[in-house]
Amino acid sequence: MTIKHPNKEINTAIEYAISKHWKVTVGGGHCWGKMYCPFNDEECRCGEFCVTSIWSTPRSPENHAKALRRVVDKCVGKLDGDATKTLPKGKKIGER
Amino acid sequence: MEYEFILKYALTNENADASQYLDALFEAGCDDATIGVGKMGAIALDFMREAASADAAVLSAIADVKKAIPDAELIEVSPDLVTPTEIASVIGCSRQNIQKIITNPKKRFPNPIHQSSAGGIWHLEPVLRWFMEDGVSINKNLLEIAEISMTANLIHQSQKVNPKLQSKFLDVI
Repeated sequence: MTIKHPNKEINTAIEYAISKHWKVTVGGGHCWGKMYCPFNDEECRCGEFCVTSIWSTPRSPENHAKALRRVVDKCVGKLDGDATKTLPKGKKIGER
Repeated sequence: MEYEFILKYALTNENADASQYLDALFEAGCDDATIGVGKMGAIALDFMREAASADAAVLSAIADVKKAIPDAELIEVSPDLVTPTEIASVIGCSRQNIQKIITNPKKRFPNPIHQSSAGGIWHLEPVLRWFMEDGVSINKNLLEIAEISMTANLIHQSQKVNPKLQSKFLDVI
């Protein structure tokens, strides 16, 4: 990722998501960007949080960073050993 | 006090991309929520809201969403409906431990609202109260949120009841 979130804590949370193979896109009004789960299957919190919006200026950057980390940690998808085996058919890490 | 809860909504148009509402939600005061838009026709808001009480936190959040998306249907307020796995994670013990308590009739654990071979579903509030009486320390804010979440879900669900059937039913029970 070349563009950094202006808030340090949120940026660290985004880097954490990327380290867990989430894909991050930038752009869109109050929304600084979005992060995409590498699995995005139905079992994962019913799928809503498989795409999570990242605010530019949330009320509390600290809380938002914490919530983003929690979304990543609650994701039921796990990358064990050969990651490609556990990914949905036809999908590669970082691709949607 | 800071309260954590999730509101889940269905959009009127089941094919709508919830992303189009993000700016409106931000401007309506949902800048203290982290928003999930991964499912077509749905939106979920994970709030960490500062308020005088749990009731005020949840009710003001529902009002804020209504300002941004007036026709969205509130589906679920959580934490309320929980599985044994979720109970275990809230209490901080193993699922096996919870299962032992649930299946022991002497423990008089709250009854589930649904039981199946795959497990069961409980309201969190009576479960938390049971653990409190058993001597487990429970976060007061969580208990308050579980109570308002259950209330919101029950009221919402009861709107689907046919009034004629309801009075007949109440005569019998």
